[in-house]
Amino acid sequence: MELLNSYNLQVLTFIVLNLILAISIYVTLSTGQLSLGHAGFMAIGAYSTAILTEQAGLPLFLSLLIGALGTGLISLVIGLPTLRLNGLYLAIATLGFGEVVRVIFLNLEITNGALGLTGLKSIGSRVYDILKDLGLKASDLGMSVLEIKSLATLLTLLLLFAAVLFFTVRLNRSRVGRAFSAIKADETAAMAMGINVTYYKMLAFVIGSVLAGLCGGLFAHITTAITPDDFNYHRVVEILSFAVIGGSEVVIGPIFGAILLTSLPEVLRVVAEYKMIFYGGLMVLVMAFRPHGLITADTFARFKRRRQAKPAAQEDDTNAKGGL
Amino acid sequence: MIWQQLFNGLTVGSTYSLIAIGYTLIFGVLRIINMAHGQIFIFGSLVGLAVTVNSGLPILVAFAVSVLISGMLGVVLEFTALRPLRKKNVPHLASLISTIGFAILIEELTHIFFGADSRAVPAIAGGSYEVGPLMIRQVDLIIIVVSLLLMVILNYWINKTKMGKALRATAENGDTAGLLGINTNAIIIMTVCIASALGGIAGMLIGLAYSALIPTMGLTLGFKGLAVLILGGVGSIPGAMVCGLILGMAEVLSVAYGDSSYRDAVAFGLIILILLVRPQGLFGKKV
Repeated sequence: MELLNSYNLQVLTFIVLNLILAISIYVTLSTGQLSLGHAGFMAIGAYSTAILTEQAGLPLFLSLLIGALGTGLISLVIGLPTLRLNGLYLAIATLGFGEVVRVIFLNLEITNGALGLTGLKSIGSRVYDILKDLGLKASDLGMSVLEIKSLATLLTLLLLFAAVLFFTVRLNRSRVGRAFSAIKADETAAMAMGINVTYYKMLAFVIGSVLAGLCGGLFAHITTAITPDDFNYHRVVEILSFAVIGGSEVVIGPIFGAILLTSLPEVLRVVAEYKMIFYGGLMVLVMAFRPHGLITADTFARFKRRRQAKPAAQEDDTNAKGGL
Repeated sequence: MIWQQLFNGLTVGSTYSLIAIGYTLIFGVLRIINMAHGQIFIFGSLVGLAVTVNSGLPILVAFAVSVLISGMLGVVLEFTALRPLRKKNVPHLASLISTIGFAILIEELTHIFFGADSRAVPAIAGGSYEVGPLMIRQVDLIIIVVSLLLMVILNYWINKTKMGKALRATAENGDTAGLLGINTNAIIIMTVCIASALGGIAGMLIGLAYSALIPTMGLTLGFKGLAVLILGGVGSIPGAMVCGLILGMAEVLSVAYGDSSYRDAVAFGLIILILLVRPQGLFGKKV
């Protein structure tokens, strides 16, 4: 029980939240599109979900759904003019979008300006209320109320993460996923093969944004307080670095990146102090030496090959070269 | 009243043009967007400002220091974030991402050295003239004259000199230019250096215009430069010059006749509009 104190649980919760964020940027990147507006989409999800639960009194699940889908709709508006063009346009437009969203939330009345929304009811409290209705109390389980709330939050997030991961893996193996990777490999060739490039780029961008919106809603109900500054450019770089440093070729890459980059500041004090410098420096270094990220499709191919090579004890040059 | 606003827009806009030219030059030669541009020149300008404020030297020294530091940072960027990626089998987004990483590094350094507070820029030339309905401050005049002069010089340099020719050749086709005996690596270093140095001047001019520099301006100003880049057509230098002025005026007008808190949203609105109507930009060629 020592390890399960509420601080550790909270760290784990944020790791899981970052895992979902990492997948959200991974889906967008899987067509070779770079979105710098994920913090903006998170903000939209966070504020809309928080307003729906607090002021409209809707249940959390429904609010999350509406918040995420609403974010998707807004991303459609950004995607329409930009996705027909070179990927640079999306990067620049979403960069501006993120800043505009922040400015709007700073000035709107319903979002309470720079002070933000506070006193939201957390996921843990909501789950605990349900448990209480079922007749379970914290003392019955041998934990303090705080601990059980943190544990409930973590489990909820893990469940959601599992669902998102399952969805992504299935997506990758479907016709849609193959279209994504075809577009990433070569847009012109994909077009020549009859793939509707703009449609699939849009699909990937919207799925990524919906996931970011969902994460925003979750974030609001984990921290219970949000301000526009929670969703600034640093957040974008943070999310981006998960996928970029971990690698965006296979879904394990961003997951590895998110775990590494979220847990390092907890373990190493120096990293926590200069977190953004660390992220920035790592990004430059990884791009220079391993531009595809730390984990690539090749990484696993090599493992598999080694395992196959051992019993056969044969070298096959043609196999060794074709990593894909 | 409207003439006064338009004139103010012209002043701010001319600095946006300078920023956008920095992006255009680098894009022209390397086909990448340098996301660290804004952060680099704000760092340079802040160092320049700190030097003059602490030593009591004239503001002209701040310009020189700003140009020097920004240019040097540009060269550092080339060697750390751009050159290692100019090899085969690198995904096309990689250099964009590594400049983002570099930008964050510079931004954090700025934060460590200069904090988050805005810094006052000492005023030069406090007088003003009245020309018809216009009230022209000497500072505004200096800003406009310096920016226009720089643009004219740059235009001449690119179109008439031998080095400019080499730059245009590299921009058109790096490999061929290399085969014809142009030292493309030197051209690239020079371009990145000049682009960043231009930004260094733009940063100081903006400091003069607002009588203050804010360390966090890098991102906002950088984005405005990018907006101008898209408005004018990516890679078009005349486009960057004219559209900087257009953006400056649009912003000032929106503040005068709208809500001042949404000033930064104007650039974004213009981007979306131009991409819907004329995606190649006002001065771009149809692909």
